[in-house]
Amino acid sequence: MDEWEYKPAQDLGLRGSERLRSVKRESGLLGRIGQHLWWWWVRSALRLTERIEIIGQDNLPASVPFVMVANHSSHLDVLVLATALPARLRNHVFPLAAGDTFFETPVMAAFATGMMNALPMWRKNCGHHAIDTLRQRLLNEPSGYTLFPEGTRSRTGQLASFRHGIGMLVAGTSVPVVPCHLQGTFDAMPPGSKWPRRSRIVLRLGTPAVFASVPNDRSGWQAVARTLEESVRALGSPGA
Amino acid sequence: MDEATKQRLWGADHALDAPFVRGFLVALVAILVLVPVVIWVMRVAGKSTPEHQGELWARYRSWLIFIPLMVGPILLGAAWTIAAVALMSLLCYREFARATGMFRHPPISSLVVLGILAVTASVADHWYGLFVAITPLQIGVIAAVAIGADQPKGYIQRVALGMFAFLLFGICFGHLAYFANDSNFRSMLIWLVLCVELNDIFAYTVGKTLGKRKLAPNTSPNKTLAGAIGALVLTTAVAAALGALVFAGTPVAAPLRLIVLGLIVSVTGQLGDLALSSIKRDLGIKDWATTFPGHGGLLDRFNSLLFAAPAVFHYLGYIQGVGLNQAPRIFTGS
Repeated sequence: MDEWEYKPAQDLGLRGSERLRSVKRESGLLGRIGQHLWWWWVRSALRLTERIEIIGQDNLPASVPFVMVANHSSHLDVLVLATALPARLRNHVFPLAAGDTFFETPVMAAFATGMMNALPMWRKNCGHHAIDTLRQRLLNEPSGYTLFPEGTRSRTGQLASFRHGIGMLVAGTSVPVVPCHLQGTFDAMPPGSKWPRRSRIVLRLGTPAVFASVPNDRSGWQAVARTLEESVRALGSPGA
Repeated sequence: MDEATKQRLWGADHALDAPFVRGFLVALVAILVLVPVVIWVMRVAGKSTPEHQGELWARYRSWLIFIPLMVGPILLGAAWTIAAVALMSLLCYREFARATGMFRHPPISSLVVLGILAVTASVADHWYGLFVAITPLQIGVIAAVAIGADQPKGYIQRVALGMFAFLLFGICFGHLAYFANDSNFRSMLIWLVLCVELNDIFAYTVGKTLGKRKLAPNTSPNKTLAGAIGALVLTTAVAAALGALVFAGTPVAAPLRLIVLGLIVSVTGQLGDLALSSIKRDLGIKDWATTFPGHGGLLDRFNSLLFAAPAVFHYLGYIQGVGLNQAPRIFTGS
């Protein structure tokens, strides 16, 4: 018989909004139920308003950890990516959302965590420490992330260059990264529009890449970002 | 549903019928008014540092929130009391689940929550048969559902923790709620909660002033032998004296029986505290949560009630019964 192992919640001892803003947040029964209800609603709403096609679903690893990276041009992106996740993974996959936008006020933070299951990514003065905490969580807790390495929504629909933060998360680890390409979300709901228009959305999942042999330093991070950017770009132009 | 049951469940206009309840409320208000004066006098007399002052005020503010939440439902009626205990059980279980890591097993965790709700339903219905039946049924259900994942690794831990949590927060706290099925529930519950809280305070103050030898330094470094004995003597005296008022005219209101009752309150109260401290030490945490400044989590406050409620319930049950003069199976009976 194995030794008993007790593992308190990693966010134990944090209070209220401090807990919501923590990247160590772990949700309990109520949180899970809330998220399942929310996702059920989002899924149904998306099915009603948009025509979504998912290509390459088999490329999604069966269990966490993994990271999904995609091009970003619409608030719909994170919702469409989540529709590719099976229900059993939903509570373990966290969209990384801009801390300064989605975690500034307690109400926004409650929405981002309670509904979207998001974790904060502090863009300004985030430095090594914030990303390193996320990296440790990926390695030690049953967690997966979805994130947009461009760092912000594209205002033109064109793919911008990937920042090397994604490299800081996965360089030198065996965590698979799934390149994803979203087509049609910009037309459905570009930045600035309030409501989505009905249109055809295609989500393409590429072959997962592992960066175990890439050094965990600046050159390695940049190599990871370049590789993934090319993969996502290639997914976006399947004919070429 | 007969008139007596309706009155018990929702009859807030009878809240102050019992002399003990009236006396308690007068004393409570007096104390809550006096405490700020005492803290202020301590500051003026230079007897306390600013940090100490801050801690005292934080504790006082927490009590100002706690006391209405505890006393309010009891005054409003049995239905409110049962609902409040159910909410407390669920919130305490939440703290337990997060501290032990049980929350990572949603099927078992859901069963504990369902078990607490089932106990609450049986209490609200005044159906003692179901109240008793839930425990043996629950062990079967938890053991069966834990097979579902087909992961034998950690099976014993999952099942045992699930059952432990259910017994602590469903059954032990369920007995506290079951008192609400007695026509005299307001006096009994206020008496019980008051004596258990006083027991904590006696142990703390006697320990601070006279305590030298530690009671169980590895479990709870601040508890002393003198504190434990002091609480035993003082709580027994107070519980017996107040018990004479609460249980006047019933078989338990005999001196020896009241003293045994007081001893039960003090011993089980302290054991509940120590048992939950042991769990915290085993987990390596200091407080269950940070909900209330100066108190920690809900469980840090209510741990002393865990074993006291069933022990007192069954001692009273042995001598005279609890809730026997009230109609059983209010909702399910024909």
